Amino acid sequence: MSEKILLVDDETDFLEVMSERMEARGMDVTTAESAQKALQEVEKGGFDAIVLDLMMPGVDGLETLKKIKEKRPALQVILLSGHATLEKGIEAMKLGAMDFIEKPADINQLTEKIRKAKAQKMVLVEEEMESKLKSIINAKGW
Amino acid sequence: MTTATEMAGWAGLQFFGRTTASVSHELKNALAIIKENAGLLNDYLLMMDKGMPLQPDRFRLVAGRIDQQTQRADALIRHLNRFGHSVDEAFTSVDLNEVLALLSALSSREVSMQQATLSTEVEASPVMVKTTPFWLLTLLGHCLSFALQVMGPSRELVVRVTKTGDGGLIRFERLEKMRQQNFPGEFEAALFEVMGATCRMEPEKKSMEIKLSNC
Repeated sequence: MSEKILLVDDETDFLEVMSERMEARGMDVTTAESAQKALQEVEKGGFDAIVLDLMMPGVDGLETLKKIKEKRPALQVILLSGHATLEKGIEAMKLGAMDFIEKPADINQLTEKIRKAKAQKMVLVEEEMESKLKSIINAKGW
Repeated sequence: MTTATEMAGWAGLQFFGRTTASVSHELKNALAIIKENAGLLNDYLLMMDKGMPLQPDRFRLVAGRIDQQTQRADALIRHLNRFGHSVDEAFTSVDLNEVLALLSALSSREVSMQQATLSTEVEASPVMVKTTPFWLLTLLGHCLSFALQVMGPSRELVVRVTKTGDGGLIRFERLEKMRQQNFPGEFEAALFEVMGATCRMEPEKKSMEIKLSNC
């Protein structure tokens, strides 16, 4: 099954070319050119991973990451930026980003990280399901 | 005790760092698009090797994108180069129209990150003033950052150059939220002092005026 990806960047040319390349590698890509649109897409659900630009006009990448994690904790976020300072990277990881890639990115490296992100999300979703089941069983005294 | 010159020097260094970081970030964005388009051409060639038909229109689109982004990167480097050369001469004649155009180009990312638009209005003929070009850019950069903080909900700023008898004025307009702000701060005050420039805050007109004189 193909990976369902949300690609977020304010550079529309980057979105166009990157989504075409990712789709050629079998991924199902949705794009968003603003944090606001990205959050609307996240609300709809169904993504395996998000590739998110760190520096965007208005709400920046870290703020968007925080909001995404509040809405969908299991969703894996890979941050992409041309402005890769160590501090920002550490802050992003603390906020729950799965990885951090510097622009210009290597498509093979990104693809590998996306596949890992999907696997990680599946583990987290299974754990969440198991925990829910256990609490139902305990609550019902079965 | 820190002197005004030391303070101005530090403000200049900060502005230099901030500007180069911002422009290099823009440059990386352009390079990323160029790299991905080159990668896309390779993808097309791999598809062709597997027997898929060549689509000339796709190649044209990619070539157009590479051309556009190369022009963007070239303009960024040109502006950065001019900024670098602003320290060539400590005191020289500059055209305020050109200084404002350079400031606008160097600050385009700062402006767009604030989801703002900046319009510049200049005189038809050069507005020459004798000044320290790097400090002038630093000062105007600080003024622009302040203007972005106090702009109105329309997020539109106007910066206007006007010729005066002995120099020129640079006026920042549509500062809708301007009240009794702590501007100029200590860095800006030091810059005004070392440049012999003056600043007039006009909250009722929602504007701020920088006066540069040749006297």
